[in-house]
Amino acid sequence: MVKTVTFSVFRYDPEKDTRPYYKDYRVELRRPGMMVLDGLNQIRWEQDGTLAFRRSCREGVCGSDGLNINGVNMLACITHIEELKEPIVVQPLPSMPVIKDLVVDFTDFYAKYYLVKPYLITKTPPPSDRERLQSPEDRKKLDGLYECILCACCSTSCPSFWADPNYLGPAALLKAWRFIADTRDEGADERLEIINDRDGAWRCHTILNCVEACPKQLNPTEAIAELKKAIIHRKF
Amino acid sequence: MLGKYFGSGRSGAFDWFFQRVSGVALLITLFLHFWVLHYASEGPVTYQKVMARLVSPAWKALDIAFLVFAVYHAMNGFKMIIDDYVHTSGVRAVLVGALWVVAIGFFGLGVLTIVTLKVQA
Repeated sequence: MVKTVTFSVFRYDPEKDTRPYYKDYRVELRRPGMMVLDGLNQIRWEQDGTLAFRRSCREGVCGSDGLNINGVNMLACITHIEELKEPIVVQPLPSMPVIKDLVVDFTDFYAKYYLVKPYLITKTPPPSDRERLQSPEDRKKLDGLYECILCACCSTSCPSFWADPNYLGPAALLKAWRFIADTRDEGADERLEIINDRDGAWRCHTILNCVEACPKQLNPTEAIAELKKAIIHRKF
Repeated sequence: MLGKYFGSGRSGAFDWFFQRVSGVALLITLFLHFWVLHYASEGPVTYQKVMARLVSPAWKALDIAFLVFAVYHAMNGFKMIIDDYVHTSGVRAVLVGALWVVAIGFFGLGVLTIVTLKVQA
């Protein structure tokens, strides 16, 4: 007899439903180490083809399946079913507009991400004979910053992000610091000018939800603190 | 999208930094207050002893500094809450304006109390 667990899944189809509801499914644990994503796939492939959710790499690299599982934001593909309490409540990322079921609209999240200029900005020309080099020590400063996969688990766990629709949020701010901290980058002034704003770094009240939510064990709060320090050093 | 591009010159950097500066100043003055009340005087506390301290110019200067930091810290805290939750610039202007009125009112009352304080016969 195969053991089963209950998934209670948030369902909402704006074309049919007047309001969201939760639907229970029984998922069979057919092998050890099954992830929540395996459970969702089993539901969609074998029980209910109408369930919508995003997934791609299924190994914690693409950032597609950030979900709120038992109240905590995490990636479904690297979360073990057996480590969760039943019923496993699966919801879309909080505060994001729902397109259908577990699929949310990332437009606003990406707009905020692009606003901090998440790319290398250079003013001096590169060496003519090689690429822009960086010492191993300087490269090490980017550890804990470059690994972000833009799953939005951090920003959508942040009460400041929920409360203020204009707040840039931890994901965008972590990315901003990733480039400002890069010794090859020369765009700190223009980025800090954008971030030094009521809806920029100052809405972070070090609640630390982003740190708990990040499936890559990054620390956006620390990155935001570095941004605040950099702005204050320039101003005062 | 971002506040300062819609006419406000305020970025929030000053608010954030001086909330911390005033917080540290309040901690220092608070512990100074405790120390003076509990350890700095000998024998029973009397009206004459307390008033002699309160009317001295140095203590009045300290009280005014305390007032500045306390009013700034409290009102700036409310402003941060407004910044967190109020997103309509008109409503925010009204609320922050009201905060200024309250802050100036409290500050005026406090200064009046400290400056005019005299030992009663």
